[in-house]
Amino acid sequence: MDQSAATTRTSGAQVRLRKLSKTYGTTAAVDDISLDVPAGVFVSLLGPSGSGKTTTLNLIAGFLTPDSGDILIDDRSVAEVPPHRRNIGMVFQSYSLFPHMTVADNVGFPLRMRSKLTRDEARKRIAEMLALVQLSHLETRYPRQLSGGQQQRVAMARALVSRPRLLLMDEPLGALDRKLREQMQAEIRHIHRSVGTTVVYVTHDQSEALTMSDVVVVMHHARIAQIGTPRQLYEAPASAFVADFLGDSNLLPGTIAAVDESGYAVKIGNGVFVHAAQSQLKFSAGERAYILIRPEDMTVHPAGSAQGDGPQSLAGDVTELSYHGDVFWLSVAVGQGLLKVKVAREQGGAFETGRPVRVSWSPNAARLLPLADDDLRAGERARS
Amino acid sequence: MTITAQPETAAPRAPVLTLQRMMPALLLMPCLAWISFFFLLPLALMCWRSLTAEGFSLAAYSTLFTSALYAKVMLTTVKTASIATVLALSLAYPLAYALTLSGGKLRALILVFVLIPYWVDIIVRSFSWLILLGDNGIINKMLMTLGVVHTPLELLYNPFSVLVGMVQILLPLTTVILFGAMLRIDRTLIAAAKIHGAGGWQAFRTVFFPLSLPGVYGAALLVFVLSLGFYVTPALLGSPRETMIAQTIMVEANQLLDWEQASAAGFVLLVITTLIAAIYNRYFSLDRLWGGSDT
Repeated sequence: MDQSAATTRTSGAQVRLRKLSKTYGTTAAVDDISLDVPAGVFVSLLGPSGSGKTTTLNLIAGFLTPDSGDILIDDRSVAEVPPHRRNIGMVFQSYSLFPHMTVADNVGFPLRMRSKLTRDEARKRIAEMLALVQLSHLETRYPRQLSGGQQQRVAMARALVSRPRLLLMDEPLGALDRKLREQMQAEIRHIHRSVGTTVVYVTHDQSEALTMSDVVVVMHHARIAQIGTPRQLYEAPASAFVADFLGDSNLLPGTIAAVDESGYAVKIGNGVFVHAAQSQLKFSAGERAYILIRPEDMTVHPAGSAQGDGPQSLAGDVTELSYHGDVFWLSVAVGQGLLKVKVAREQGGAFETGRPVRVSWSPNAARLLPLADDDLRAGERARS
Repeated sequence: MTITAQPETAAPRAPVLTLQRMMPALLLMPCLAWISFFFLLPLALMCWRSLTAEGFSLAAYSTLFTSALYAKVMLTTVKTASIATVLALSLAYPLAYALTLSGGKLRALILVFVLIPYWVDIIVRSFSWLILLGDNGIINKMLMTLGVVHTPLELLYNPFSVLVGMVQILLPLTTVILFGAMLRIDRTLIAAAKIHGAGGWQAFRTVFFPLSLPGVYGAALLVFVLSLGFYVTPALLGSPRETMIAQTIMVEANQLLDWEQASAAGFVLLVITTLIAAIYNRYFSLDRLWGGSDT
C-alpha cells in the first residue's frame, strides 16, 4: 500500500441529523431538519442568509445545543458532547487563525490539544499537512504576514491535521476574490479527495455549491427545501424557490388546460398556450402552476421567420440587450412578463432593442413547478 | 463615433485653504488653547521656578538627588504603586473576564456595580475605610464580638490600609480598561480552539489569556502612573512611613512654602513618569489599548 496515502487518508464519518430544531425567541432558526450524510461525501448546505444553514453547522459543531432532535456521528449521539470531544475539524469564515502563533503552531494546535503524538511525530504531521496545502516554506510566519488565500490554506491544514473524520466549513471562500475563490474551490476538492474525510460545507453561493459538492442541501426558512446532486437540483428542481436560487430561471404562472402522456398544455393568459414536459411532479387539469424555462435553453429568432413556431415558443419584443463577453443577455417582453434569454455571442449581435422576436425552446426544456411558494409543501410533493 | 482616451489635463491647482482642509485644525483649537493655558504654561512656569531660587541655580535638584528623605519617599512611592497595580490587575482580571462572558442584563448589572464606586469622590471612599478599619470600626467590632481577638487589630495607618484604599479606588478603572481590551478579542478564536480539541480551561490558557496580555500591559502602565500620584489615600489611611511623593510635594508647597523644591520634585516626578511610559510603550505598544492593530 502507498505509504503517503496511508498516512494522510482517513475514512469519513457518517452524519445523521434527526428532527433537529433550534429556536431563538419565537423565530425558528432550524425547524425539524432530518438529513443523512453518507461517509466520505462532500455535502453543501446552500441557502440565502437566515435560512438556517449556519445554525445547522453550529449545531453539528456543538457551539449550539438543539432544542429538540439528535445529531449522530457514526451512530453515536453527540447532542450532549462538548465541541472539543467531537473530533471535528472546522474552517471558519474569517479563518480564525490564532494571531499569536506561527503557522506551524496554528497547524499543530489540534495535535497539542488532543493527540498523544510525540514531539517528533507531531512535527512530521505538521510538515505533511503544510506540504498538502503547499505552504511548507511559510511555517515560521505569523497569520498577519500571510495573504487571504494563504491564511485559508493554513486554516485547512489546522482543521485536518488531527485527521478528523468530519470537516465543517463555514463559507470559507467568502472573503476571497473571484479568481482565487475558483482556484481554492478546486484545491479544496482535491484535498477532500486525497484525505477522504466527510465534508459539510456551508455557502450561499450557488455556483460554489454546484461545482464542489457531491450532494447539495438547499435550505429555506429554517427547513430543507430540497436535497440532491447538483444536476438533480439544477435540472429537476422541486420548487420555484430552488429553481430560482440555483441559476437563472424564467417562471411563468399559468393554468393547466390539458394533460396527456407527452406533457401539459398550459394557458398563460390572452389565450396563449405553452407546452410543458412531464416530470416526477404531477399536476392535474385546472391547477395553476409555474412553467420553468432556463435562459440558456431558449433560442431567439427574428419575428416572422419560419423557425420556432408552435407551443414551445412565445412572441415578444426585445427590451434590453447586454453584452457579457462570452454571451449576450436578452430581455424579451412577452405580454405576461419579461423572459431572460442567454444567447451565444455570435447570435446575440443580430438583435437590437425594440425588435419583435420569437423565443423557442426544446420540448423537454419547459417544466411545471407548484405555484405556491411554500417550499416545504413542494418538497413533500416531490417525495410522495 | 469613436471615443479615444483623453490624457488628463493637469489643471493648475491654486493652493487654497478650504474650510474642509482647515476643519481638523479648527476642531483641535479649543482643546489646544485650554491645554496650553492651563497645563503647558503652568508647567513651564513651574520648571522656571524650580531653577530660579536665588538667581539661576540647580540647588533644588541637587537637594532632590542627594537627600536621603527623597530617595526613601520615592522608593516607597514606586513600591506602593507597583504592589497596588499588581493587586488591582489581579482582582480586575477575573471581573473583566466575567463581564466578557456574561451578556445583556447581567453584564449591565455588573458594570453598574463596578462603576458606582468610580463616581463616588475619592475622599469619601478613603474616609469610608476609616469607618471599616478603625479600632472601633466594623471589622474590629465584629471580630471582638465573635471573640476571635480581644484587643483591636491594627488595621489602619500601615501599608495594608493604604493598599486596600488605593486598590479599591483603582479597581473600577482597571476593570473597564481590561474589559475594553478583552471585548476586542475575537470570540470565534475561542470557538476555533474548542472545536480543535481545547477544553474550556485550555482554550482560556492557550488562546484567550495570551491575547488579553497586551490589554493587561497597557492597563498596568495606566494604573501604575495613576498610583504614583496618589495623595489623599496615603494621607488619610497611612502613617508617615507610608508617605508618597505627592504628599511630600504638598508639604513643601503648603507648609514649608519652599516652592522651588516643590516645583523641582514635581518636575522630576513628571519626567520619571514620562520616561516610564515611553520605555514601556517601546516594548508593549499602547496602541492596542485604543484599538490599534495587534501587530
